[in-house]
Amino acid sequence: MQGGSSGIVYGGLKYQARCIADVRADAGSTTFLAGTLSLKEENEVHLIRLSPGESELVCDGLFYHPNEIWDLKSCPFDHRVFSTVYTSGEGYGAAVWKIPEQHGQSNSPQLEQLFELAGHMGKLRCVLWWPLGKHDKLISIDDRNIFLWNIDSSNKSAKVISQGSADMLPNLRGGAWDPHNHNSIAAISDSSLHLWDLRSMDIILSKSTAIEHAHIRDVDYNPKKQNLIATTEDEFGIRLWDLRMLKHPLKDLPGHSHWTWTVRHNPEYDELLLSAGTDSTVNLWLAQVSSNDSGPDSPSSPKRQEEQLLNSYTDYEDSIYGIAWSSHDPSLFASLSYDGRVVLESVKPYLQRK
Amino acid sequence: MATASGAPPPAMDEKARRTRDLLASFYNTDPSAAAGAGAASPASLARHSPTAAVASPLDSINSTSFDPETYLNVLVQQSNLEGLLQRHVKMAAEIKNLDTDLQMLVYENYNKFISATDTIKRMKTNIVGMEANMEQLLSKITSVQSKSDTVNTSLFDKRENIEKLHRTRNLLRKVQFIYDLPSRLNKCIKTEAYADAVRFFTGAKPIFEAYGDTSFQDCKKASEEAMDLVIQHLQAKLYSDSEPIEARAEAVVLLKQLKFPVDNLKSNLLEKLEDCLLNLQNESTQASISDISKTFRAYLIIFPDSEKRLIELAQTLFSNRYETVRENLKKRISSTDLLAMLRSLWEDATAIDEVIPEAALPAFSLETTRDIIRQHIATAFLHLQSEISDPLVRTHSTSNEKLEELQLQNAMDTSKIRVSQGCIDLLQEFYHLIDGNTEVLLKLRDLIIDWVQEGFQEFFQKLDWHFHVLSGRSKSFPQESSALDSVQIDKVPTVLVLMLAQLCVYIEQTTIPKVTEELASSFSGGGARSYEYGPPFVPGEICRLYRSSGEKFLHHYINMKTQKISKLLNKRFTTPVWIKHKEPREVNMFVDLLLLEFNGVVSEVKQILPGLIRRHRHSDSTGSTTSSRSNPMREDMLNRSNTNRTRSQFLENHLAKLFEQKMEIFTKVEYTQESVISTVLKLCLKSLQEFVRLQTFNRSGFQQIQLDMEFLKSSLKEFVDDEAAISFLLKEVNNAAHERCLDPIPLEPPILDKLINAKLAKIKEQNPNMQ
Repeated sequence: MQGGSSGIVYGGLKYQARCIADVRADAGSTTFLAGTLSLKEENEVHLIRLSPGESELVCDGLFYHPNEIWDLKSCPFDHRVFSTVYTSGEGYGAAVWKIPEQHGQSNSPQLEQLFELAGHMGKLRCVLWWPLGKHDKLISIDDRNIFLWNIDSSNKSAKVISQGSADMLPNLRGGAWDPHNHNSIAAISDSSLHLWDLRSMDIILSKSTAIEHAHIRDVDYNPKKQNLIATTEDEFGIRLWDLRMLKHPLKDLPGHSHWTWTVRHNPEYDELLLSAGTDSTVNLWLAQVSSNDSGPDSPSSPKRQEEQLLNSYTDYEDSIYGIAWSSHDPSLFASLSYDGRVVLESVKPYLQRK
Repeated sequence: MATASGAPPPAMDEKARRTRDLLASFYNTDPSAAAGAGAASPASLARHSPTAAVASPLDSINSTSFDPETYLNVLVQQSNLEGLLQRHVKMAAEIKNLDTDLQMLVYENYNKFISATDTIKRMKTNIVGMEANMEQLLSKITSVQSKSDTVNTSLFDKRENIEKLHRTRNLLRKVQFIYDLPSRLNKCIKTEAYADAVRFFTGAKPIFEAYGDTSFQDCKKASEEAMDLVIQHLQAKLYSDSEPIEARAEAVVLLKQLKFPVDNLKSNLLEKLEDCLLNLQNESTQASISDISKTFRAYLIIFPDSEKRLIELAQTLFSNRYETVRENLKKRISSTDLLAMLRSLWEDATAIDEVIPEAALPAFSLETTRDIIRQHIATAFLHLQSEISDPLVRTHSTSNEKLEELQLQNAMDTSKIRVSQGCIDLLQEFYHLIDGNTEVLLKLRDLIIDWVQEGFQEFFQKLDWHFHVLSGRSKSFPQESSALDSVQIDKVPTVLVLMLAQLCVYIEQTTIPKVTEELASSFSGGGARSYEYGPPFVPGEICRLYRSSGEKFLHHYINMKTQKISKLLNKRFTTPVWIKHKEPREVNMFVDLLLLEFNGVVSEVKQILPGLIRRHRHSDSTGSTTSSRSNPMREDMLNRSNTNRTRSQFLENHLAKLFEQKMEIFTKVEYTQESVISTVLKLCLKSLQEFVRLQTFNRSGFQQIQLDMEFLKSSLKEFVDDEAAISFLLKEVNNAAHERCLDPIPLEPPILDKLINAKLAKIKEQNPNMQ
């Protein structure tokens, strides 16, 4: 299962890093944004592009970011806009930035801050863009509240439209925006996953989970099929759910030897899942969820179980917190390990095997 | 023919004509005549033609159209002198012959004429005297007739009288019979000649019907009373089992003749029989089946039309009895007992079958026996399963946090024994089933073998499934042990999971080979059904199943343990505000909790899993702390990073890492104490590192982590062999804290030592009896 050195390595990040995002709005090439996480040094945002020959990753832009970056999302409709969540000492902040023009010439130009998402009191977790295209709303999540913002990039302003508070369920950890429904997001907290209706800013469907279901670390919507989500949990690895039937998961995937940190559906082939974990591996899964597979997952033949894991990429030195599929070429993905190494891998060799 | 055509001359007589025709055909002179009947007329016509006459003038000598002139001419022309002379001689002879014949004929005719005349003459003389005689006869006959008429008329009156007298006498005799009937019947009753009685009574019955209300009232009453008595006697006879069957059958026939409602009797009797059979079931079956079969036979003879009912009875009897056996099955009886029951039932069934084969009891018995044995096997497996799982469940439900030393080990051992012994016992039990020589079981032998094999296959699969349910990994089906999982699913004890893991290994490595061996030796054969999927018991498949399950359970155990610790760590790292942490005063409490958890894991693992090489626990923990703590390289590095806080520090960290060998943290878990313990430890430390990475520390926070890790380092040594990995991970935690610290200045070593020693002293104080 040795991943080998097939991946293209980008070693330009000089500090630890957690966040990498695919620049979806850049239709011309496979581009990623990666932000560093350094407490003491000046942090950077790298614009990484796959060279036309697809042989190396080049730095297309290096921008200084005032604080260490805990979350970075690229704007799905403007390739020069992205959002970050950062900490500065004790405080948290979130902002939307614009990459300045002529970034090619100047080596480290300043980022243009479009606006700050101010007003959060708690620990900011993440900023969400509606994943599939132009939408003038933005969501920010801190450990207690969900804010819905109306953004106006030309005016460089953002206004809080509504705010939902999760006092009953402290310690929100993050969330995902339903690509099939503007008004629905899935937010995860310490022990549960909740769907929120953005119109009323309230929990619409509660999945009251027992203690075992604690520590959902990440959630990702199936980009093609409605109502299907994938979660990563400490105990059960990766689980696929149908939001209409939350009693049992549709499927369990074993996940990682240590925490499964994040999971992402392939933007084109929604049966392909990528997960990254703190055991320094990235796993590629094939998770076919058919509607009739909703029964309890009885001890099926071991062959099928093995089939689910298409490949495990192990050529990493440290925990991996960031993975991103390329929306330009869905067979490519970039992974970012904590030591700042970005590796671009292709899943093609493993797809032919099935 | 020739006559129809009217061609031949009428003068010619039939005979002469036929002779001539015959001759003509013989000499074949006229081909048309020989050709057939249809050609006869032209042939005869041709004979008159001159050509015909010319053609055979010599032959026509006999015909009517004979022309002597022509004949002579032809003869002279055709024959020479000698021939003519010969012809002459011949003809002379012929003529002479003909003359003699003619004379003879004439003489004969004359003779006949003479005799006829004589006969006529005699007849005439005989007839003359007859007429007088005839007249005499007529007169005599007439006189006889007149006499007879007179006699007839004179006797007529008397004859009528006699006839009347005769009728009266018959009637009187009948009346006498009827008047005698009661006494006669009584006599019959006395002699028990019931048949005669019935015959008499039925004879008198039409009379009673006609005159019973009038003249013979008393008589009728008396005889009816007698008949009632007869009926009673007959019924009694019928009911009494001691009577010979023939007598009883006869009684029934007689009753039937008396138009007594026999069907009622029959149903009564049968009901009685039914009751009797019911009693038979309820009481211990003392009344042997031979009695029952005798009764059946008797009833068959007595009531030939009762067969259907009897069949029903027999069938219900047996189905009830089988039902009882089934009931017994629930109580978990041993195979031998079951076998005894089935055997006796089978024998009974064959006995009854001899009497009423139509009831198809053997087929029914065979089928039921099959079902029962199948059920028996199934229940046996079910019992075994619960026998195995119940104590497991009980072990943990009674277990407290602090388990008695060795209690788990005992539980583990008993579970193992229970599995193995249970399987072997079961096999023994089943062996009885096929060992018996009973006919019915011989028939089922192959099936039983299949069932047993199938049963084991299913049993192991189910047990595995059950284990999964117990472990809480699988959501159980609603119908299966619903009470069980409501209690447990939320909180599956970790010990149980570990025990299950070990049990899986044990089953895979010990029980299954043993069972396979036993099956091969005692339960080979089978294959009564064709298996498309190979033999019913596939040890390889089961082994695989259990191997994977065992691994799953082990992982699950580790997972649960790390979960728990992870929760602890989570609380520890998310609650305080690290950036405002105060100076470390002592080792944090969470370390104690952590060690407590580790201790729990160790004690569980040590009791259940094999192969701990006894570690030298006496290598006293106090002494090791000071010496093992300081790592010159680390210190060196830390010092340097203190003074030189540039970005190069990050690179240096990397470099340092490069030179250290890459630690394999996530190795494959084995079924040994060491492996499991070190895996748990490693995972927890890794989690610790990850938690640290998520925080931002001030100097004091960092120092607190440093202190805690330092203490852990000394304490964890007791638990694992893999010191290198542990110290690597601890270092990693320290590194992470260092990276995430705004002002990473470590504690001075003396302070560190002092705090650690203070902690150790405190522990010692709390546990004075600790080593």
